[in-house]
Amino acid sequence: MKIILTLIAISILGVSFAQEPTSVLITGGYLHIGNGESIVTGAVGVRDGKIVFAKNALTFTVDEGKWDTIIDVSGKHIYPGFIAPNSTLGLTEIDAVRATKDFDEVGIYNPHVRSQIAFNVESKVMSTVRTNGVLLSQATPRGGVISGTSSIMALDGWNWEDATISMDDGIHLNWPSSMQGGGWWAEPAPKKRNEHYNNRKQEIYDFFEMAKAYSNIRDHEEKDFRLEAMRECFKGDKRVYIHANELQELVDVIAFARELKLKFPVIVGGYDSHLITRQLVDAEIPVMVVRPHSLPENEEDDINHPYRLANLLHEGGVAFCIQNSGGMEAMNTRNLPFLAGTTMSFGLSTEEAIQSITLSPAEIMGIDDNYGSLEKGKSATLFVSDGDALDMRTNNMFLGMINGKFISTRNFQQELYEKYSKKYEK
Amino acid sequence: MIKFILCKSILLSSIFCVLLSVAYGQEPTNGMIRSNASYYAFTHATIMVSPGEVITNATLLIKGNEIIKIGKRVLIPNDAVELDCEGRTIIPSFIELSTSIGVQKAKSLKTGQSPQLESMKQGPYYWNEAIHPEIDAAELYQPNDKVNEALIKSGFGFALTHQQDGIVRGKGTFVSLGKSSTHEVMTNWANASYYSFEKGVSRQSYPSSQMGAIALLRQTMYDAIWYKDDSKKELNLSLEAMNNQWNDVSFFSTRSKWEILRAQKIANEFDRTFHYIGSGDEYMIINELTEINSTIVLPINFPKAYDVTNPYVARQIPLSDMKHWEMAPYNPSIIAENNIPFCITYNGHKTAKEFWSHLRKAINHGLSVNDALNALTMQPAKTLGISAITGSIEVGKIASFNLYDGNPFEKDCKLLQSWALGEQTVHAQHLKEDIAGKYNITIENRKFPLAIKSTGKGKWNGTIETYATSSSTLKTDTTKHKAVVILDQEDITLQFTINDSIWSGSVNLQGKINTKLGIFEGNGMIPTGKWVKWYAVKSGKVTSLEKKIKDDFVKDTLAVSWFPNMAYGFDSLPEQLPYVIVHATAWTNEEDGIIEDATVIIEHGKITYCGIDPPTYPKDAEVFNAKGMHVTSGIIDEHSHIAISRGVNESGQAISAEVSIGDVVHPDDINIYRQLSGGVTASQLLHGSANPVGGQSALIKLKWGSTPEEMLIDDAPKFIKFALGENVKQSNWGSYNTARFPQTRMGVEQVYYDGFERAHNYQDALAKYNRGELKTKPRVDLELEVLSEILNSERFISCHSYIQSEINMLMHVADSMGFRINTFTHILEGYKVADKMKAHGAGGSTFADWWAYKFEVNDAIPYNAKMMHDQGIIVAINSDDAEMGRRLNQEAAKTVKYGGMTEEDAWKTVTLNPAKLLHLDDRMGSLKKGKDADVVIWSANPLSVQAQVVSTFVDGVILYDAKRDALLYNRNQQEKARLISKMLDANQQGNKQDFVKKTKGHYHCDTIGEEASLEENTH
Repeated sequence: MKIILTLIAISILGVSFAQEPTSVLITGGYLHIGNGESIVTGAVGVRDGKIVFAKNALTFTVDEGKWDTIIDVSGKHIYPGFIAPNSTLGLTEIDAVRATKDFDEVGIYNPHVRSQIAFNVESKVMSTVRTNGVLLSQATPRGGVISGTSSIMALDGWNWEDATISMDDGIHLNWPSSMQGGGWWAEPAPKKRNEHYNNRKQEIYDFFEMAKAYSNIRDHEEKDFRLEAMRECFKGDKRVYIHANELQELVDVIAFARELKLKFPVIVGGYDSHLITRQLVDAEIPVMVVRPHSLPENEEDDINHPYRLANLLHEGGVAFCIQNSGGMEAMNTRNLPFLAGTTMSFGLSTEEAIQSITLSPAEIMGIDDNYGSLEKGKSATLFVSDGDALDMRTNNMFLGMINGKFISTRNFQQELYEKYSKKYEK
Repeated sequence: MIKFILCKSILLSSIFCVLLSVAYGQEPTNGMIRSNASYYAFTHATIMVSPGEVITNATLLIKGNEIIKIGKRVLIPNDAVELDCEGRTIIPSFIELSTSIGVQKAKSLKTGQSPQLESMKQGPYYWNEAIHPEIDAAELYQPNDKVNEALIKSGFGFALTHQQDGIVRGKGTFVSLGKSSTHEVMTNWANASYYSFEKGVSRQSYPSSQMGAIALLRQTMYDAIWYKDDSKKELNLSLEAMNNQWNDVSFFSTRSKWEILRAQKIANEFDRTFHYIGSGDEYMIINELTEINSTIVLPINFPKAYDVTNPYVARQIPLSDMKHWEMAPYNPSIIAENNIPFCITYNGHKTAKEFWSHLRKAINHGLSVNDALNALTMQPAKTLGISAITGSIEVGKIASFNLYDGNPFEKDCKLLQSWALGEQTVHAQHLKEDIAGKYNITIENRKFPLAIKSTGKGKWNGTIETYATSSSTLKTDTTKHKAVVILDQEDITLQFTINDSIWSGSVNLQGKINTKLGIFEGNGMIPTGKWVKWYAVKSGKVTSLEKKIKDDFVKDTLAVSWFPNMAYGFDSLPEQLPYVIVHATAWTNEEDGIIEDATVIIEHGKITYCGIDPPTYPKDAEVFNAKGMHVTSGIIDEHSHIAISRGVNESGQAISAEVSIGDVVHPDDINIYRQLSGGVTASQLLHGSANPVGGQSALIKLKWGSTPEEMLIDDAPKFIKFALGENVKQSNWGSYNTARFPQTRMGVEQVYYDGFERAHNYQDALAKYNRGELKTKPRVDLELEVLSEILNSERFISCHSYIQSEINMLMHVADSMGFRINTFTHILEGYKVADKMKAHGAGGSTFADWWAYKFEVNDAIPYNAKMMHDQGIIVAINSDDAEMGRRLNQEAAKTVKYGGMTEEDAWKTVTLNPAKLLHLDDRMGSLKKGKDADVVIWSANPLSVQAQVVSTFVDGVILYDAKRDALLYNRNQQEKARLISKMLDANQQGNKQDFVKKTKGHYHCDTIGEEASLEENTH
């Protein structure tokens, strides 16, 4: 049976296909490919979960017989699913309730600790993130020097197994702070150049040297799970995400990556990275920039620095993407599109801003073969918004799919909205 | 101590009668009284009599502890001991006003981590441990020669010492620093009491913030007034002491310039005078200080230059710290130029050397020697009202003074003797002659040239030349050796090593000097072990290494203070000018709605026109072409915690209505400027949510560069913060905080009933008193005064609230006790109870989309604003967050997404609606003739994610402008580069300290204590 759905049908019904359609044509919308390009009136064909084409709808003749579902999205916008790197979404539920927090394990070097299995697909928070177009996230542990190993997850699934997009994509290394101390701006306690910085740095070198040596032998009689977890950082394509912000740290991270011959180092944060764009380009180290909706670090910093940083890296030729770690980050992940939106007024074009939360993070995390853009052969992980999805006013998910499967465009907050709206209907 | 019998001193002037009390000898003596000289005459001295008066080649005659005569021609009595002071300078002893020397430190009464809600001090004392006027330093003083030594060596002869602890600290005691018994050094000359905003060692929960300290001090003073009337009351030694000290000289210890202004408000309220112990940044509030008739006690422990040799570290140093480093040494001279009476304190130094180097630094930065001397002698004496006794070297005054081997204000001099109450302490011997020079030294018929140079401060070094004649070449080589030269009065020690064909080893010589003849002679041991005679004869001069300290003062014209003195501060405050904004899309928030091609005219800080048919432009108006741009009224943040000093929560009690954020507004917060760049022009600075009844709000305009008082909105409606839920019941405060009532929502209700019942009773009692039915006036209770204002509809409530049960509860309490909730803030379940809120008459100020940060916000939905709006409730979107506060336009835009508000209504949630909730809509919140010119020009539709602020006007003054911001940014960078290079120079002279990074923190609803939080915000 052929279903030609109207817009309303999908948004009201949500996911209620008796049988998942195997071939879907989404046509007529403003197509944002994710690679910096766009088609004003585009069409995306999906078959067996894959994009079979994404092209200009005006130069394309629809053979209706070929599709079991055709959805006209004229006037709307089509995007690849947005990707939230470096996030505790799914690993936490309520910030103030310790029992709901599953992202910070005891220990200093925990590369063997894996986020994938703690990822809660039924997270209520996640349901509100998904409906703003964020369809993938990098579930990331926190704490210690090496927090653990992240995995890239779809924000929908029956369980963590089928939500997994890329298992164990990288380890997260928290580079020591070059400045150390405590206190508050009201009354500072001594904070100065971290006296232990060099020691802490050396410890990291030592650990990595040890792990590297260990990785040279395939099968150890006695396995060391910590070091096993590091193996792919040297032998495979496991990323090393290095969380660092200050200039001194960034310069040292570049040297570290070079000396250890890390295959895929990534800087996360990079508050000062605009000062060393040339070195980052030469070292081929991408940056997941500090949350644009954050305050400048120092009083004399450009008041718009966090807004502007993405474009400064773009202009410097550095590979970058936007991430959202910070206060209340799980809940705030739904604002990822608006983080990208904010960077638009500070230099990025619309398509570049979209790329910074789609193809760029996919490339940096190594999932761009299948995700990050609406291109032939990639997974059909996409959504349609009523309007510009990077603008608060017009980001309204009309339909969404992950790996070709329709996802719910609803969340419990809408249900409460409807429930209590009834209270006032008289 | 000279215990002379006064009746012998018949010649004394009347002033001297004051001195009778000084030294009447309280102690019986074992045996005969001590023998003392009758008179001491200091002849041929240079005497700095008082600031501005110097006599040279003069004689000072003292007897006992009194100055008898001074002048060029003084008849020296036959029984006087004469001290030849040729080349010496006599300076009056300095007076220290801010010290705790000899007074033991206060100790905390509490151990363990559980909160202490009540005072643990036993006895009839005030209920709060931070209030202890009964502490009298006189009872605690134990002279400690070692501790006093550094002060004495710095030139201080007197100190008013006190126990530096608590808010009401008690009495200081005025002591002489000479080495005598306690009886003799302690005086009753001056009565002074001390105050501060610091709680000190008290572990009592209250107060936990500076505003709490302010309220507590005010309450104590009202209590003291109440205690004074003659009706029967329970004994309270604290209040008695407070009353006894009411008219004493009072010193208020401050940690920043703003604390001076805060304390002065209290002084004005109670018609008292406080003198201020400053913190060194007073130059930034010079205009305000000139209006206060107080003495400022200035610290001169100027900050050291930061170590900027590592550029990575230098980057991290805030510009404000660097600017203060540069300006701090100018502080005393700026205060002096403005004729503000000031003293200088030793406080903050460890050695006399440090103190003098800073004093000279102040002089090198423009402070005159006379002003410096005045600040150390006459002014403290005047402030204490004892200038008839001390402060200068004048006849009849106390003989406390210091002898230097030169003028210490001009060069590095040695303190030779201090005289305290007529008693001498010798610190060093004066060497009239210089031993520097070239000599020929003869030892055992061998002659060597010796050169002695001064290295300053009575220290010397020498160089000796020896000859060695090579046996092979017969050539004579000269070798120079260092020689140790030690001079102790007339004894000289010389040590050097010789290695030549004759002697090999150390030569140690001891001898006497005769500087008049230029000869040294004595005995010594040569390397052979033989004792020999030696002598040295002067043959010539050498140039001295001693440096003159005082350079001519040249003001660094680049060293200027900005408004505020930090990054993005103004060189001078921008002016209020007439502006005409043309061709703009104007969001009027009025009946006209959004109008295209509009003109907005601003004059005298007001909007005088907004529309499409403009009248004639005002004269000299600047015309701003806003084609393609949008113009709106300024954003008003109903819920903000920026620009607050030392504590956003007074969490010590469940009801803290007596505290006010208005007392602790902090204008130096960079977030003021950052939020101007987001179009915010006015904010309600709210107390936090730590207790059911929090504190009073401050309604401010974001006047960057102004003082706290200027930022407060004139005649603003009064507001107070209430709070419900998890923060109030301390749910997320860890396992120790389980003692304060309430710990459940059940308890919260009862706190309100109790508070308002007490307020009703308080009002009844006042009414009875006013009708003459009560004889004594009820004690002024600041907490109940404020709750009464609520009952009398004179103060509005903004209540932090989340879930429906507690919201309904509070409305029931309010209805039954006779008050109204003006605004439910946060109100994340407002959508469930909008009908009841409407019936009660409450507004809602909410987050656009926040939730999931704690259990009670699990049902928070972003449709909340729209749903409340639909029920006719006035809805605002607020920030509660320094970051979000600068993009409230984006947050307002989310109401379009969630629930579909119209853009016009969405925009009102951050402008007109908060103005209505704050009852400021008659002067703010829309573009309407007659309203305040709080206007923002946007690059695009302000609800667009791409909108940027072009200019922000507050009261018709452009306080943010995107183009100017770029200039200020560059200026900041240049200023920083200049200061880094200046610091590098200082570093090379050894002046450096490690940079201490101030970790950025921000106040949130649940931040406890005086420090800002680095924790995650749980609101």
